[in-house]
Amino acid sequence: MAQIPNLDNAPVNLTSIRDQSQKELINLLKNIRGKKCLVIDPKLSGSLSLIVQSSLLKEHGAELRHLTAEPIQTDCTKVVYLVRSQLELMRLISSQIRDDTSKGLQREYFVYFVPRRTVVCEKILEEEKVYDLLTIGEYPLYLMPIDEDVISFELDLAYKDCLVDGDTTPLWHIAKALHKLEFTFGVIPNIRAKGKASTRVVDILNRMQIEEPVNTSDIGMPEINTVILIDREVDMITPMCSQLTYEGLLDEFLGINNGAVEVESSIMGVQQEGKKIKVPLNSSDKLFKEIRDLNFEVVVQVLRQKATSMKQDYTEMTTTNQTVSELKDFVKKLNSLPEITRHINLAQHLSTFTSKPSFLGRLDMEHTIVEAQSFDICFEYIEEMIHKQEPLVNVLRLLILFSITNSGLPKKNFDYLRRELLHSYGFEHMATLNNLEKAGLFRKQEMKSNWLTVKRALQLVVEDTDTANPNDISYVFSGYAPLSIRLVQHAIRSGWRPIEEILKLLPGPHTESKRSGYGGNQFDNLSGSMLNSDKVGDGRRSLVLVVFVGGVTFAEISALRFLSAQEGMAYDLIIGTTKIINGQSLIEPFVEKLC
Amino acid sequence: LLWKESWELAKNPMASKGSPLQGPRIKLIENVHKLFSETKEHVFESKAAEEHAKLLRMQQELEATTKQPIFVDSSISDTIRTCIVLGNNRAALKVKTEFKVSEKRWYWLKVFALATIRDWDALEKF
Repeated sequence: MAQIPNLDNAPVNLTSIRDQSQKELINLLKNIRGKKCLVIDPKLSGSLSLIVQSSLLKEHGAELRHLTAEPIQTDCTKVVYLVRSQLELMRLISSQIRDDTSKGLQREYFVYFVPRRTVVCEKILEEEKVYDLLTIGEYPLYLMPIDEDVISFELDLAYKDCLVDGDTTPLWHIAKALHKLEFTFGVIPNIRAKGKASTRVVDILNRMQIEEPVNTSDIGMPEINTVILIDREVDMITPMCSQLTYEGLLDEFLGINNGAVEVESSIMGVQQEGKKIKVPLNSSDKLFKEIRDLNFEVVVQVLRQKATSMKQDYTEMTTTNQTVSELKDFVKKLNSLPEITRHINLAQHLSTFTSKPSFLGRLDMEHTIVEAQSFDICFEYIEEMIHKQEPLVNVLRLLILFSITNSGLPKKNFDYLRRELLHSYGFEHMATLNNLEKAGLFRKQEMKSNWLTVKRALQLVVEDTDTANPNDISYVFSGYAPLSIRLVQHAIRSGWRPIEEILKLLPGPHTESKRSGYGGNQFDNLSGSMLNSDKVGDGRRSLVLVVFVGGVTFAEISALRFLSAQEGMAYDLIIGTTKIINGQSLIEPFVEKLC
Repeated sequence: LLWKESWELAKNPMASKGSPLQGPRIKLIENVHKLFSETKEHVFESKAAEEHAKLLRMQQELEATTKQPIFVDSSISDTIRTCIVLGNNRAALKVKTEFKVSEKRWYWLKVFALATIRDWDALEKF
């Protein structure tokens, strides 16, 4: 099965976006005559694999290489670099070029920056005295569809960049990506944003619209009705909790990368020692589409059911006489067998993790912390984790959860835990602690916690969640409804106004605005939910784009899909994010790497 | 402004990690300690720096006596564990008292360490 997802069912024409990116890349290669060696930044190759098949690149005369510290081995006289604008990468390129010249090799070099060139990078190439040998260009890849309803801007560190290092380039990038979307789908009339970064993005986007307006007359009705932007900072609780949906768990334990997960071949029942295989995970796999968003408990049941019904069919088949059409049906069912086996294998592997007492203990603790009732129990649990020197990231996840729900810890506890952390994991983590404090994730208590108010007002903890027949988004965490998605729910239903008091308790400002980029046809406020104007002409539901600045987890995506599938929901939802994240990938950049 | 300066310094010795010259590094960290202690808000940071320097000194001594370069740059907990694993209980106790390690943590470390070397008898007694 292909790793490139099938986008035919997307609520908005995402295929066109992908095709455009693909065409741009091919054109770029076509413009360089003859055989060439395409050297790709390893970080980009994953994203590129979602846009274009490597065979297609080879058809256009490109040899593929990853950019490494080693000199390139190729017979081609033309070398094309496709890289992000990162300083270290510039140094790699220049050292490769110098290596070639020292060997007396004459080659033509092209450097394409993704998505755009920066002055600093060019400066470095100048300093390294290779600038004159290069042809420089850009490959404007700002966003890529990673599934039918998910668009990623592929910004690895956006969250840490903004909060700790104060670097706001990711915000420009996001605005640019949205602006690009508008060129294809029309100016988005309604914007709601919550959080410092999100409101900045809106500002930048508006400025872009003034400087380089989207020509609306030839697009007609805008396809996207509303965009809702939310900072990750607003809800740091959710990503710190362990995700309990099938896809979320796969990501937590095995790590999903660009819509695929890599596992030992033995897990998938293939007898090949020590080899890893890639399992693609996207909506093209019908079974996966069905179960990805379900709570893991339910997934196991569904798979068991499928397997038994299969077995039943089989025995029926062997014992009774069948008509030809019945045989045909049976064979059709058999075709889905590889999918079933694949997911049974994966689910089985997952359950080796989820049945561990340590995992269940952690889940329990997460819920206790979110309930915010028993401070001492939580405190002692975390203390014990530190004493046992459990993996630092795991400790930090709980600690951050604990700190945020309490609006920071009382000074005494704060200093004590910090000391124990340094003692257990080494003093070099002083810098890690500083990063976390600067980002407000682990800090001293300065005011009374308002988590209880927020929790109650938005009904974040739901008792008696039925994971099998969920009627609320809280099923994705078996009882906790993600704060971010609750906000989205409110924003869609009635806008910010009714929950203004609650919003004020969460970090960052919020804005709500209307834009007119199209002729006179003003949309009414969303609150008149089923107004005619909300329906696009051909009876499709109109679209809401939810953008997470700083990343989104699979569990949250699942919750949004759940909302979208609800009866009486007037909108289709698509999701934009800087990156798909989980608690681990979110915290890791904060842990200061030394050397 | 002062705290910014001291942070720069605090990061400095960390950047020089892995250099065999431990002497200058300890001096640097002690400098950091002094800088931090000049302000009131950074009592914690200053203390941490002080302890860090002290730890490095002890680790150096340990490496000299055991002739095994495995101590420097490990955390306090790790140091204690290594000591017990090597059967050097006295040194472990010394580190414990020096850094006022709480009983709770001490027990965890000891149990883990004894389990690593499968010293079940000692574990039983303890």
